[in-house]
Amino acid sequence: MARKRGRGMAACWYGIARTATVDRAAAWAEIDDGGSAKIVTGVTEIGEGILTVLAQIAAHEIGVKPEHVVIGDNDTARAPEAAHAGASRQTYMIGNVVALASREAKKRLVDVMADMWDVEADSIRTGNGEIWAENTNHRITMGEAVACAKNRGVVPIGSATFGTDTTGIKDGKGGDGSGRPWQAYVFGCQVAEVEVDTVTGEVQVLAVWAAHDVGRAVNPQGVEGQIEGGIVQAIGQGLMEDYQLKDGHTSTSGFAKYILPTSLDVPRVNSIIIEDPDPIGPLGVKGIGEPAMVPTIPAVMNAIYDAVGVRVFDLPATPEKILMAMREKARRETMASQAAE
Amino acid sequence: MLICDEYLTPASLDEAFAAMERHRGRYRVVAGCTDTLPWAREGRAGDVEIPVLIDVTKIPELNERHVGDKRVRLGAATPIQRFLDDAALGRAMPAMPRCAVWFADDQIRAQATLGGNAVNASPAADATPCLEAHDAIVELASATGRRSMPLREFITGPGKTQLADGELLTGFECDAFPGYGGSFEKVGHRRSLVISVVCLAVMVKLDRDGKTIEDTRLAIAGIRPVPRRLREIEDLLRGKKLTGELLEEAADMPLDLVQSRSRQEYRRDVVRGFLVRGLIAAAKRAGASPDALTRELEAAYG
Amino acid sequence: MVDIRLNATINGRKVSRDAKPHLRLLDFLRDDLNLTGNKEGCGAGECGTCSVFVDGVLMKSCLMPVAKAQGATVDTIESLAKSGELSVLQKAFHKAGASQCGYCIPGMVMAATAALRANPFADREEIKERLGGNICRCTGYQKIFDAVELARDVQNGRVPATALLETDTADGDVIGKSVRRIDAPSKVSGRLKYAGDMIMPGMLHVQVLRSPHAHARIVSIDTSAALAMDGVESVITAADVPGKDGFGVFVHDQPIMARDKVRYVGEAIAAVAAEDALTAKRAVAAIKVVYEQLAPVFDPDAAMRPGAPVVHDYAPDNITKHIPIRVGDVEAGFAASDLVIEESYSTQAIEHAYLEPEAGLAYVDHDDVVTVVSPSQNITHHRHMLARIIDRPISKVRFIMSPVGGGFGGKEDMIYQGMLALLAMKTMRPVRLVYTREESIISTAKRHPSRTTLRMGLMRDGRIRALAMRMVCDGGAYGLSTEGVMRKAAILAAGPYAIPNVQIDTFGIYTNNTPSGAFRSFGALQTQFATESQLDIAAERLGLDPFEIRRINAMRDGDMTHTKQKLGSVSLMRALDAAEQASGWESGAPAVRGPVRGDLGHDDVRPSVTLGTRFASSGAQEAAE
Repeated sequence: MARKRGRGMAACWYGIARTATVDRAAAWAEIDDGGSAKIVTGVTEIGEGILTVLAQIAAHEIGVKPEHVVIGDNDTARAPEAAHAGASRQTYMIGNVVALASREAKKRLVDVMADMWDVEADSIRTGNGEIWAENTNHRITMGEAVACAKNRGVVPIGSATFGTDTTGIKDGKGGDGSGRPWQAYVFGCQVAEVEVDTVTGEVQVLAVWAAHDVGRAVNPQGVEGQIEGGIVQAIGQGLMEDYQLKDGHTSTSGFAKYILPTSLDVPRVNSIIIEDPDPIGPLGVKGIGEPAMVPTIPAVMNAIYDAVGVRVFDLPATPEKILMAMREKARRETMASQAAE
Repeated sequence: MLICDEYLTPASLDEAFAAMERHRGRYRVVAGCTDTLPWAREGRAGDVEIPVLIDVTKIPELNERHVGDKRVRLGAATPIQRFLDDAALGRAMPAMPRCAVWFADDQIRAQATLGGNAVNASPAADATPCLEAHDAIVELASATGRRSMPLREFITGPGKTQLADGELLTGFECDAFPGYGGSFEKVGHRRSLVISVVCLAVMVKLDRDGKTIEDTRLAIAGIRPVPRRLREIEDLLRGKKLTGELLEEAADMPLDLVQSRSRQEYRRDVVRGFLVRGLIAAAKRAGASPDALTRELEAAYG
Repeated sequence: MVDIRLNATINGRKVSRDAKPHLRLLDFLRDDLNLTGNKEGCGAGECGTCSVFVDGVLMKSCLMPVAKAQGATVDTIESLAKSGELSVLQKAFHKAGASQCGYCIPGMVMAATAALRANPFADREEIKERLGGNICRCTGYQKIFDAVELARDVQNGRVPATALLETDTADGDVIGKSVRRIDAPSKVSGRLKYAGDMIMPGMLHVQVLRSPHAHARIVSIDTSAALAMDGVESVITAADVPGKDGFGVFVHDQPIMARDKVRYVGEAIAAVAAEDALTAKRAVAAIKVVYEQLAPVFDPDAAMRPGAPVVHDYAPDNITKHIPIRVGDVEAGFAASDLVIEESYSTQAIEHAYLEPEAGLAYVDHDDVVTVVSPSQNITHHRHMLARIIDRPISKVRFIMSPVGGGFGGKEDMIYQGMLALLAMKTMRPVRLVYTREESIISTAKRHPSRTTLRMGLMRDGRIRALAMRMVCDGGAYGLSTEGVMRKAAILAAGPYAIPNVQIDTFGIYTNNTPSGAFRSFGALQTQFATESQLDIAAERLGLDPFEIRRINAMRDGDMTHTKQKLGSVSLMRALDAAEQASGWESGAPAVRGPVRGDLGHDDVRPSVTLGTRFASSGAQEAAE
């Protein structure tokens, strides 16, 4: 057969948020006129969908619709520090701190209503833009509740900070690397199915099944998006991308020579989201941006080996590398069988 | 960045020649611009200042199209996309639609021209081996007259042609091969928008029963300074019964085709496989008898 | 220059105006007409962010001189949302979660629109082929294909238009629902302004002079000719930096422009602010630099040897960072093992290739606050560093993050914001810098290339007794995130496996190559590639299924990590089970089972593709067959 298929798998682990240092983030929340929510934090959306995740978290905590959440962000002169967009930390660090700030704002509002309605604060519920007291006829919109609070001189705001209980690792001279680099770990596993064209050495990754623990999926579609994008970036590194330098000068300074995966180079991705809630943060969320990319390359290399019996140790596994390794393997086998005879 | 002081779009050959005369030594002729603009960037030519650009794509003669039973005439400004949109043209040049679908992407082939592909004379050009397989004649014109020559003589090396100063490539005249099956095999480092490491154009005509090869055309590129017709293989195949053994024999002909300095062994291997694969695909499209080629052969190369 | 009088119909309106003859259609649309929805991702026709319709045919406007649009009808992304209402396809992109950073999306929406116009019934494989000229770096394309299929089905009446609407959250449970992205409408319509789309009144344009040498002493820089040119407002070099120069994520070893010497090809040396980008470009070309060549070092192993050229004086051994991890006694572990496998692995440098090249604006505001607007992944840290570099109190430095058109770690470095701030301070005018793709590739960080040797000792039953790994990474000319990458690489190197004897050493090394920095998966990708490959080699040798060998060694709840941290809940077994079940994995040792395994080609596997799916579904079939 000219086109040989095979499967491979690999597992991974990853730490969430900044490594071997104390991570922290802060946020402000306000339940605004009309019952909308305003969240301000130094978060940086880089395409992963964190703004939507935060809107969902604030909506959930305060009890409004996600479309009624406004997020003010990204400005060091206007927002509290939430540090950087990286380390798979945003849902974990900023999601959790937005939840805490939202809870505090909500508590201010609930306290006013409990006093007004003469009920216990813990009997008050919010959701879908309304606030009510259980087992009573008290039910008004969040907008009306905000007006009540303001009439009593209360602006329902909250603020919070969220930090990690982590340490550096002993990595100085003679150190053993011990320490507590993260408080949340995630694990994952991927299976890849590939087809190798033995005429050209081309590899098509036909499918990847990706199972990843994310703690708690705030937006499953967004989680899938991270997994799918991570896998395709890994396939780029695994099969084609190569920033080449000769004496410090690159020969791949444009996208004609620096080859990226196109729509025709990607597998079908089947994501399986696992939720093993983080016990420390208020939401149980963890992260997914980086771990999604870790097991793909070895899973694909293991699958190539399964298909054609050659293993690539030096990335990327270009068509040429694979075909030449197959020829080398065939030569060795011929020689071995001749020697045996 | 490509910087010019003037961008001219002549509406006739005479206007173009007048502009070329007027700006002698300070102009460059452009067509689709899909190679010229990327060329004038860092890492390649860098910033390039050319006083006058003369765009020939609006000249009516360069947009002519004539598709006959025996001959096809195409203006040099014919966009590559036309081979996918024009059914009659695709029938007359049956490997070209397969080539076109591999050529850059849907958008670039709407701009890139056949003439530009030939004048650039890139060793990895996709369209020129197809044209070679059609025995294309290039038509050249200048203010003082016209001449023509076979494409294989026109392209003399990487980026080099016989186009003279003051001369324009106006069109191509090709043999038409209606009733042939066509295929185009190509490999690069991905599957879209990719530069060929090897590409092969194949056309096959079979007899009525689909069992005998009446005629075949093959041309290859990406592996040597200029595209090459594979006449030795055509001669071997012509008039023979279509069998897997024959196709493998053709692929095994010791032709020493690969002249590129890099990836020689890889390219030799791919060429061999592509010859069998391309012939199978073209033969099937030419109506090969179901029992001519074995399932095993198709599985081994398909 | 002889301007072209361009008459065209653009987004339904007649346009008649003069255009410079060297402009591309993309420049004319973006700069002259302020139609910034379509982007310039590469300038070479390789990415599709600039795709527009010209007389109904989709074209890459970066490859089209504006003169070619004479008399044409041009439609940009701005034309699709008629009167502000998104098209069905745009709504489908919103619903399917097809936009992430959004930078490729205007072009992608245009390509998808063209695909469904060409064939309203195109299947998924044909859709893929028709989108083949448009690169997306974030999504992995899956949700884009989903969106196009959804739009196709809605347009064909096979799916009701209500399928495009928001997920219902009326039950009040918002977490766990695939709520549509709040930023998608502005992305799918091209309304969102990235830094390179922003203009300010009186804005100057910045261009940067870059080093042609990998390692050279700067003897002198003469900017006088550049400064004398009409339209040039300011030229800066390292000599203009008022404070303590230096940035980096861990060590602040990189000046905002080369100081005394250059350490890699493409390093910034000087920057010019001028009335237009072309003038700035010409001024850059007029700067004269005298270099004295220094011996370079390009190989990290060579750089570690005594006597190698020194890249930074503070690190005479060229070691940016070494991270050790030690558990137990690996030599004793190997001695006690039934099987010891040693292999070498290497990984290459790769480019982040976010579709948005670096861009930024800077200005000094009414309160004398130096303000930088840029797609930075770390505005907090950048503000700290910039305050020191420009010697201003932190309250007088402000970073605003513009929408980030992809980052992946590559926009964590403050690689150009310092130059912008300084030029704004010098000119007291807004300044803007937009990188070309090539500039972005040569001057910004890459993923660390690595060389790894891995020894693994196992017992016959599959238990790993000992693991020793040594990885040397090329950190390039500056530290950036190298220290952190080495740390994360080392901590995670041995995988999620309980191993009694572990010895890991990761080394980040200075060379005169393009700097390496933060990149999604930050070192863990390199080390776990080796470990996970080697586990399969071991599984084959021991006759174990690859899932099995991992289960045998998997960390369990409460286990210690290799940094001696006690874990709580470990979800590894759940992940292994889930992937095995979902894929319908057929158990067996990984001994080239491809030819015989029975679990291939399930329904959730895409077909193998070659080009030409359209021949099966369109009139072109006739042309080809």
